[in-house]
Amino acid sequence: MAPARQTSFARIIEKWQKEKGPLRIMSASGQLGYGIIEKAFRAGLERDLHLIGADMGSVDPGPYYLGSGKLATARRSTKRDLKMVLVGALSMKVPLVIGTAGTAGGDTHLDQTLEIIREIAREEGLTFRLATIRSEMPRDLIKKQARAGKVTSIGPIPELTDAEIDKAACIVGQAGTEAFVRAIDTLPDVIIAGRACDTGIYTCLPEKLGFPIGPALQMAKIIECASLACEGGGRDAMLGTLEGESFVLESMNPARRATPMSVAAHGLYEQADPLSVAEPEGVLYLEDSKFEAVDDRRCRVSGGRWVPTKQYSVKIEGATRVGARAIMVAGSADPVFIEKADEIAGLVEAQIRELVPPKPENPYTLYFRFYGLGVVGGQPVTQLPEEVGVMVEVIGEDEDEARAVAATAKQYLLHAPFPGRISTAGNLGFPFTPPELTAGDAYRFSVYHIMQVDALAPLFPVAVEEVASSK
Amino acid sequence: MRLRDAARVIRSKNAGPTQVTIDLMFDDPKLYARALAAPSMNPAVIAQRYGVAEAEVIPYPAANAIKIVLPRRVIAGTPGDTDVYGAQQHRPMIDVEI
Repeated sequence: MAPARQTSFARIIEKWQKEKGPLRIMSASGQLGYGIIEKAFRAGLERDLHLIGADMGSVDPGPYYLGSGKLATARRSTKRDLKMVLVGALSMKVPLVIGTAGTAGGDTHLDQTLEIIREIAREEGLTFRLATIRSEMPRDLIKKQARAGKVTSIGPIPELTDAEIDKAACIVGQAGTEAFVRAIDTLPDVIIAGRACDTGIYTCLPEKLGFPIGPALQMAKIIECASLACEGGGRDAMLGTLEGESFVLESMNPARRATPMSVAAHGLYEQADPLSVAEPEGVLYLEDSKFEAVDDRRCRVSGGRWVPTKQYSVKIEGATRVGARAIMVAGSADPVFIEKADEIAGLVEAQIRELVPPKPENPYTLYFRFYGLGVVGGQPVTQLPEEVGVMVEVIGEDEDEARAVAATAKQYLLHAPFPGRISTAGNLGFPFTPPELTAGDAYRFSVYHIMQVDALAPLFPVAVEEVASSK
Repeated sequence: MRLRDAARVIRSKNAGPTQVTIDLMFDDPKLYARALAAPSMNPAVIAQRYGVAEAEVIPYPAANAIKIVLPRRVIAGTPGDTDVYGAQQHRPMIDVEI
């Protein structure tokens, strides 16, 4: 009988226990599916790596993906990137860890990602052991914890009610290091997680091997954005060499420089608090961070201090359907229209409400946006522009209602009469027809809270499968 | 002196869907200190500028930077939003006098 194949995690753990020394961890991408830069990734593969990680999602793109179950990235781009990291990692027998599968990390997002992974395995003749982590939260637990006062809003979002929890299309929790370590314990080649802290991807192996977690977490927080911490940013793969109490950052694109200032500044990025990072199992404090140049493109960082908390907590995210969206896009170059845009919108809206009567129990909502007149940045416009972009957004009960309102808006805005009108053949220029487009269901974030829990493991179940190249 | 003439970076981005954060980064530590001390950098003044109830101003000397944290008026992506990523909310700070 042939000896059992040694998996990538088994190999790396055995190798490290023999050699000890620093851990070389590469972040292939901060947003897998938008195109990984191949040259830097290949250069990184030559660095005798202990782990390759990639983050695949975020809450940033809004509630649509979490609610609809769809991916933000195109399937072919997603497949291209997954193939690159999967084939690359397996060829070097280096463990691969992917977090927040399929943009939002719900079960459907994870399943669609796994379906692509299995397709790649068939096409490329790959055989490997795959561990998966699921992140959808049990609703009865959320309700129980909410009633017990153990669910807290993050920022200005209402407290959770049973009705709000029931209405949500999908609610996920962010898996932390703990879940990834349980996945490592199944000794796979590849780990793919649903919604997860982007840090857990990179902290699990250091935690498993007994590295101090503070510096490991600080390194994870930086490399999860790939080369973004370099001067001028960058999307190339980033290598983090974890030495113990310190780590060294190096972009796998030789043109990108991680300098003490660029790395320190990265600590601000997308964080409400640059000096602390809350994780399910504790808090990372960064006020004692030191940033030193190793040379002109590598930076050594130390000082991340980890304080475990007595109470576990999970960040939960949920999206709820609000209706169906249709939009109408156009532009105007007419100075009278531009001057009176808001007034005209009011007249047209009244006309639309007469022609397409809103249902009293569930009225549609209508937004007129005149780009150029202070829509985007919240700054009052002091001088009228030569042109404005016009968008009408409609949230209706269903697609048919939303489209009906958008089409009526198009026709009546085009031909709206108003005092002083000189362009009597039409008020708008359309870039194409139809200028009204349906955009599927619309969602809102209904859950963005911290939930205290007694145990993490039951919330993030790990499963293992042998992916075989044959069907 | 206007902030745009003093800072190298003036940027905004969501910090989660309920908050937006504005980062001001300076090359010159003296300009960083000047901005930090300016009356226009008072949290109440900034909150009023953005039309929100409160603002937090956090000095980050490691990068000669100042972070401002604001509640979002509309949760990111909820109908009525016009900047899902919060990446264009820096504009009202650009011409602030320091």
